Amino acid sequence: MAAKIREMAISQLRRGVLEFCVLALLRDGERYSYDLVRALGDADGLVTTEGTLYPLLGRLRREGVVDTTWRESPSGPPRRYYRLTPDGQAALGGFVIEWTRFRDSVDALLGNGVLR
Amino acid sequence: MTTDTLHPLAAEYLQRLRRAGRGLPPGRLRELIAEIEGHLSEAIDPSASDAQALTALDKLGEPEGIIAAETPDLDELPARRGTKEWAAVILLLLGGFILGFGWIAGLILLWNSRAWTIRDKWIGTLVIPGGLATSVLIGRILLGTPTKRLCHGILGGLEHCTTSAGQSIVAPVLGVALLALLVLAPIATSVYLTRRAA
Repeated sequence: MAAKIREMAISQLRRGVLEFCVLALLRDGERYSYDLVRALGDADGLVTTEGTLYPLLGRLRREGVVDTTWRESPSGPPRRYYRLTPDGQAALGGFVIEWTRFRDSVDALLGNGVLR
Repeated sequence: MTTDTLHPLAAEYLQRLRRAGRGLPPGRLRELIAEIEGHLSEAIDPSASDAQALTALDKLGEPEGIIAAETPDLDELPARRGTKEWAAVILLLLGGFILGFGWIAGLILLWNSRAWTIRDKWIGTLVIPGGLATSVLIGRILLGTPTKRLCHGILGGLEHCTTSAGQSIVAPVLGVALLALLVLAPIATSVYLTRRAA
């Protein structure tokens, strides 16, 4: 039971932050989907199945925080390139500030091992 | 489609994804397939060993899982249960009694709404065309005409009545069971559609 609750909490946390991890990866310029998915997949403990990132990318497009362009690839089918929109940049900036506060508070509480 | 440039196991995976995604709006599925196809062609070389291909597919995850991750997003569509959705459900259930036109109106509302997936819409259409009106009609045929009770006035202080049972084409027990099923099916569909559009 405890393991199940922990797993659910972690999976909800992942779901909440992944979106902003994608935005952060695009901070320095555009990247195509597979490149993004690999970068997220390589980060330890962030992604369990790479395939579920594609629906997430779709949601970001519909939310208007990223823009995409299809371009021919030197090999294989065309690639979809993602880049931040001004809305995406603003969302990322806001999240970074909130996340730092959140992380520091949680670290402080968990670090003591005492919740008051 | 460029599935011919994919590893056979990758092509098979893509087929499974297509099948699993039949309930998604077609545009959504097309976009997802395009992205996953790109992923497969980059992650798995057509000449890779089966073991290498399977490792890459494991990392990608089950097709059903990808479709499930896409599905909750459908809630973002302006698809919540509104007046039109209520009207569609009620007309599909009871509209058949209005010379059948009500049911057709319900059908139009159902297919024009974005609250339901294609699969939901087919369920709403096929279980049972005409709604409860069809159930009643079929029930009448199955059980025969209802029992007739004829009274010929009063003879010697006693009401004189004759009862003639209608002709039933199936055994009464079977007929009642079938009728119950016929009545419950459209009601169950209405409940299902209402919940799916919530």
